[in-house]
Amino acid sequence: MELTPHVQEKLHAGHKLTAVVEAGLVQDFIKNTRVVALIEVASTHVKQGGEQALLIFQTARVPVHSAIDLSIEQVIAVDTNLKCEIDTSSLDVDTDVLVNITSGKVRLLFEMPFSQRTNAFVSEILRAAEVVSKRRGPPPEFAWLQPYQKSSTSSQDPASPGSAPTTADTLDGLGGDAVSLGDVSVDICQNLSSTYPDPANCNTENSSVHTENERSPDLGVNRHSIATGLSPTPIAARESHIRYQMAMREDAYTDIQEFTVFVGTWNVNGRSPTVGLAEWLAVDAEPPDVYAIGFQELDLNTEAFLFNNSPKEQEWLNAVLNGIHPKTKYRKVRLVRLVGMMLIVLVQEKHLAYVRNCAIDTVGTGIMNKMGNKGAVSVRLDLHNTSICFVNAHLAAHQEELERRNEDHDCIFQRTCFHLNITSNSPPKTIKDHEHIYFLGDMNYRINPCDMNIREVASSGEFKLLLQHEQLTQQKNAKRIFHKFKEGNILFKPTFKYDVDSDEWDSSEKARQPAWCDRILWYGDSITQLEYRSHPQLQISDHKPVSAIFMAGIKVVDTRRYRRIYEEVMKKLDKLENEFLPQVTIDTTEIILEPVKFYQSQTKYLTIANTGQVPVQFEFIKKLNDVTYCKPWLSIRPYSNFITPGEKCDVSLEVLVDKQTAAQLNSGVDQLYDILVLHLEGGKDLFITITGDYERSCFGSSINALVHMNKPFRDVPVAKLIDLESKQPKELSEMPYAVPKELWYLVDHLHSHGLQVKGLFTHPGLQKEIFEIRTCLDEGVEHQVLPGSVHSVAEALLLFIEALPEPVIPYSLYQAALDATPNFSLCKEVINKLPDYHRNVFEYLMAFLKELLNHAEDNTLDANTLAHVFGSVLIRESSAVAGSSDRRNQNQAIERKKQTFVHHFLMND
Amino acid sequence: MAQRGGAQRPSGGGQGKICQFKLVLLGESAVGKSSLVLRFVKGQFHEYQESTIGAAFLTQTVCLDDTTVKFEIWDTAGQERYHSLAPMYYRGAQAAIVVYDITNQDTFGRAKTWVKELQRQASPNIVIALAGNKADLANKRMVEYEEAQTYAEENSLLFMETSAKTAMNVNDIFLAIAKKLPKSDNNARSCWMLQVITFKTGETM
Ligand SMILES: Nc1nc2c(ncn2[C@@H]2O[C@H](COP(=O)(O)OP(=O)(O)O)[C@@H](O)[C@H]2O)c(=O)[nH]1
Ligand SMILES: [Mg+2]
Repeated sequence: MELTPHVQEKLHAGHKLTAVVEAGLVQDFIKNTRVVALIEVASTHVKQGGEQALLIFQTARVPVHSAIDLSIEQVIAVDTNLKCEIDTSSLDVDTDVLVNITSGKVRLLFEMPFSQRTNAFVSEILRAAEVVSKRRGPPPEFAWLQPYQKSSTSSQDPASPGSAPTTADTLDGLGGDAVSLGDVSVDICQNLSSTYPDPANCNTENSSVHTENERSPDLGVNRHSIATGLSPTPIAARESHIRYQMAMREDAYTDIQEFTVFVGTWNVNGRSPTVGLAEWLAVDAEPPDVYAIGFQELDLNTEAFLFNNSPKEQEWLNAVLNGIHPKTKYRKVRLVRLVGMMLIVLVQEKHLAYVRNCAIDTVGTGIMNKMGNKGAVSVRLDLHNTSICFVNAHLAAHQEELERRNEDHDCIFQRTCFHLNITSNSPPKTIKDHEHIYFLGDMNYRINPCDMNIREVASSGEFKLLLQHEQLTQQKNAKRIFHKFKEGNILFKPTFKYDVDSDEWDSSEKARQPAWCDRILWYGDSITQLEYRSHPQLQISDHKPVSAIFMAGIKVVDTRRYRRIYEEVMKKLDKLENEFLPQVTIDTTEIILEPVKFYQSQTKYLTIANTGQVPVQFEFIKKLNDVTYCKPWLSIRPYSNFITPGEKCDVSLEVLVDKQTAAQLNSGVDQLYDILVLHLEGGKDLFITITGDYERSCFGSSINALVHMNKPFRDVPVAKLIDLESKQPKELSEMPYAVPKELWYLVDHLHSHGLQVKGLFTHPGLQKEIFEIRTCLDEGVEHQVLPGSVHSVAEALLLFIEALPEPVIPYSLYQAALDATPNFSLCKEVINKLPDYHRNVFEYLMAFLKELLNHAEDNTLDANTLAHVFGSVLIRESSAVAGSSDRRNQNQAIERKKQTFVHHFLMND
Repeated sequence: MAQRGGAQRPSGGGQGKICQFKLVLLGESAVGKSSLVLRFVKGQFHEYQESTIGAAFLTQTVCLDDTTVKFEIWDTAGQERYHSLAPMYYRGAQAAIVVYDITNQDTFGRAKTWVKELQRQASPNIVIALAGNKADLANKRMVEYEEAQTYAEENSLLFMETSAKTAMNVNDIFLAIAKKLPKSDNNARSCWMLQVITFKTGETM
């Protein structure tokens, strides 16, 4: 299916289609087809080119045939809010991947095939997002998207039924129980039409109330989309949904518990820990729950710089372990070091069991953006249910390198990436993917030159005056760096630069100005800073250590509530799954046939009505060990079909006992009885029983049985019929006929009335008359007169011969007969081998045919025609062999041989 | 930045692993197979339960301490004439509940034949439970509890008397089966761990 041209047609001039895919938009375990396109505006149209956006189209039909089938449902600008994640965790379940696209309050979950195309598409989105994240200057305006916004169904007419069956509306769709499970819907129940920042459309209350009505109260599923038949299918990725639902209900099963977090940073200027660190790390009365301790310039050796190994690592770790709060026991969670930057994260021993998914990363921003003398080292972890990230940075030095510091900051945010190795399938995490972030380190931001004597003011304690000129504060206020981060009030002297082993400002030649290089910032709700301070008592470095104490609200899972909610989610899911199973009603499970007669077809109907909520694919399936789904005398049309909800399908069941099936029924091997298994794909099976009585007939009876019946066929008891058809009949007639009397009636009738009739055996008879002849033969012929025209009698004769379960030339002699055709005497040998009654029949028929040829002038028959007609009914291949295909290819040659065989007997004596 | 972390398995034991099993119900017609399923899946009971002509299909999940078991339940028709179709449903099943009616001795005999057939023809590891249903009709009891229990013990079957009407032992018998089923990875069609999954609200920095 080629989507590109159709989507292209939908775009306005100057807008380019970058990539497009078809995907399933997942809404409450139901997925609907959408077309997702990434588009770009050319640089001539907006000041800054390269702005991109995602268009989400609804499709009127699948596959899409033209642009008319597409209507815009969503417009999502690719801005810094856009996130795109692949969740491949369900890969072992099926071959689809889940792609999360989130922007602002909008969350869309798509199921896409695990393919090259999907991969390429997601890569394009990620690339577009990266471009945005790197751009400088004012944020893009996306004015060029206005026309799409206007045409999107949801914004145009918020009341249109198809408007917003979107994920955001229906996330809580496991039912109306969002309330009881806690406040899930507050921040998600927003109409997606407000995706694009158009304040007029942000009237969330109205739109969500509306969609509430559209949805069925018990299911939380948009029935409209079901009714319109755009076949939503229950999706397989159940597991992802459970996680999703659980994530949405997190508030309902977690409690916030306060944890104290100690964060410290110190540029140690390459010195060794010759003093105890307790004055920095253990000055508070109570031990913190978590320690994150960062160092810079741990080692200034070239060795450390080039090979990143350093004896200082162990020295300082030991110093830390000796200096931390003595009141309780701590365990190291992670230590990460890159050249001089080192970060140690410790937790109280009792918390260790609740720390999971730890990961580290390092980013060097030194020379060539690679060397590790500058950059950051980071640790991420989940403490209970809260994700936390610690970043220890060392940014570019020197008064004038402000922009470099900013770039280092950007670089750290962009490049830090944590891979959670326990599940290789969960997407890597960036710093910003965490709920709590602590950013510490030697940021190296200075105080801009001003008309104050910085040293004097710094010493005086009038920090407010100085902080106005402080670069980090300025850059942060300008939103250039640390957007949305917080920093506590600085109430301590600048921590840089001192003469070592003193509290004196730098007395060296360079005479550096004092600066608050060493800082701690944080991001995240439910974090309160309790302390922010320096520790000037520690004098071994030209920096003073800094520390901060935080009170952090950590989400702790309540197992009991978690379990209850988990079970609830499962129940809802089961309910949904069961309700979305295919359901049909059939008008009968018991089909009773009128008495079935040989060669006379009968049709019954079965109505299958789709009474469920999903389209049904039904099929009559084979029972175990069966090769076909029904008996050979039955044919079902259609035996497989698709029914949309509310629709019906009539299935015809035609019963026809013909020459192939009559013998089995006559002999009692088979009965007019079958159980059909009607299978609904992905759902239940229904059994349909079909029963009827077969009126046995001389047609389909064997020569050997018929010659022993000296009463009309109908008067012979069934038991006797079955006995006569068996291999060794018990009750043979004492005076068997030479040929079956029915055959004699047929031939005699033709002999009396047909010798002179033109077109005998080539002119077709009438079905109705043939049935009458059959009934007459079965019930007993009176006065040797058969009903119907001679043509019907002629055809009945052929049918009679053809229906013989064992042909006149028995199956065992079939090949011999064909092989004998070159030579009449060989043919005669075959005839000599026939069982007595078969030979009688053969010779009787040949005599009759010759007699016919004696009247060729009247009936215009010729030997070739007769030999052909009779050859094909007298000499038959067993149906087991006849099926194979190479046999069928030789059909013509075989038919000719049969003809030749009979022809010999017509022309010779 | 993330507003919500993900759902994680609480350390105290969660429902990390989901295993899926096929379970089939067998037994004489009208002993209450469909009623047991209806009670288990929907918590309902119908005095006039429509008789099953075919094989009904439903799913239901049971949460154990360390795993979650999802049953794919096949409720078969009990009439003798559909007997030959039963293998289609017990073939490949990891669990079976053979049901009889405690007020009807014949159905107990029929249950025994089902057990025998399962032992011979179903998968060798199949977990079989015997349910003596309609236990609420104790005054019309024809099959003694001890008799059935002895039989179940001899054949290593789980055994409970149940009542779809009062719900007695209905969840319990499914739960007992869920517990007994082997939860190794290759027995389950799909096993997975609940992992952190973060759905961002877009509250970025
Ligand atoms: N008193 C009582 N009646 C039951 C119980 N279970 C089923 N029934 C009734 O027995 C009849 C047959 O139940 P059904 O579930 O259709 O049996 P199935 O043919 O084995 O599926 C229905 O009328 C039910 O209402 C039970 O536990 N107690
Ligand atoms: Mg039933």
